[in-house]
Amino acid sequence: MTDHGHDHDHDHDHDRTVKPMVDEITDFEVLEIALRELCIEKGIFTAEEHRRFTEFAEQIGPTPAATLVARAWLDPDFKALALAEPMTASKEVGVDWLEPTGFGTPSDFTAFQILEDTATVHNVIVCALCSCYPRPILGNSPEWYRTPNYRRRLVRWPRQVLAEFGLYLGDDIEVRVQDSNQKHRFMVMPMRPEGTDGWSEDQLAEIITRDCLIGVALPKAGVTTNVITATRAAVHPVGE
Amino acid sequence: MKPDTLRQIVERNQVWPVMAAKYGVENPVPPWKTSLDGLCDALDQAACEADVPTFKERRDEEDDLSAGVYSDLPYPENQLVSLAHSLLARGVITEDELQQRLSVVRARLES
Repeated sequence: MTDHGHDHDHDHDHDRTVKPMVDEITDFEVLEIALRELCIEKGIFTAEEHRRFTEFAEQIGPTPAATLVARAWLDPDFKALALAEPMTASKEVGVDWLEPTGFGTPSDFTAFQILEDTATVHNVIVCALCSCYPRPILGNSPEWYRTPNYRRRLVRWPRQVLAEFGLYLGDDIEVRVQDSNQKHRFMVMPMRPEGTDGWSEDQLAEIITRDCLIGVALPKAGVTTNVITATRAAVHPVGE
Repeated sequence: MKPDTLRQIVERNQVWPVMAAKYGVENPVPPWKTSLDGLCDALDQAACEADVPTFKERRDEEDDLSAGVYSDLPYPENQLVSLAHSLLARGVITEDELQQRLSVVRARLES
């Protein structure tokens, strides 16, 4: 370890406590900055607009959506509110769909609906046209959601695609594929699974994963991770 | 057909999975990803400007380019390079000014 140029009165090793970081400036990092600066200089948008959208992208995630469903499982009045007035229910879990501009983001319009699963109906969302997704409440979409493979095939062969996620539904369950678009965003409210009696809102929220809210998985006691954990190829050999 | 500037970037292949493995970093996506999200949103909001692709055009072109010319790149590098390709192809930016700006930005980051 090199000398930091100041006295240490503690003896731990900084090399062991600092997380590793990429100590190399990549072409992609440079390209992102270059494109952004050129757009700003040409007056296409301002640095302030970019900062606001970036801040939005950094703070969104699936936690509010999971909390919303957990609360709906525990509180019938809140469930009724979530289904009738999803925007109002969103606010109660800290999400204002009009952020960050007062009109939402350019690709997140404010018509939002929560789709309730029943014993005989299973909902799943897609955007066949592009990759519309309920970002304010569910965060950025996973990579696979953006792929033409998922988008095109789910609307035609939903049971086959769901089976690829490990979700096998009986013929007695109707599958409804809800196609998002620029005017409408959807989220699934799955049914509360067995084995969760007496659970708190936080405990329930842990098993309501992003994939359950998209509809490619069902919540299950003890399962707190998404079905798909690695959609990109295995780590490329260095120097490939 | 890749513009030369983008072809060189693809060939150098400093993609995040390679970088993350080389330095033992665990973040699943590169640190510039949220800034790229902000860039796309800011562009979409400005799309009524001449030549700036609309949201749908931007996404359609990204799908085509990611699956075709830039299919060797992982996500989100393919999203970023496809966006650069679209802006060049539409003349929103020129290759000369992009090349020059890449040099300026790199020199600044390395100073």
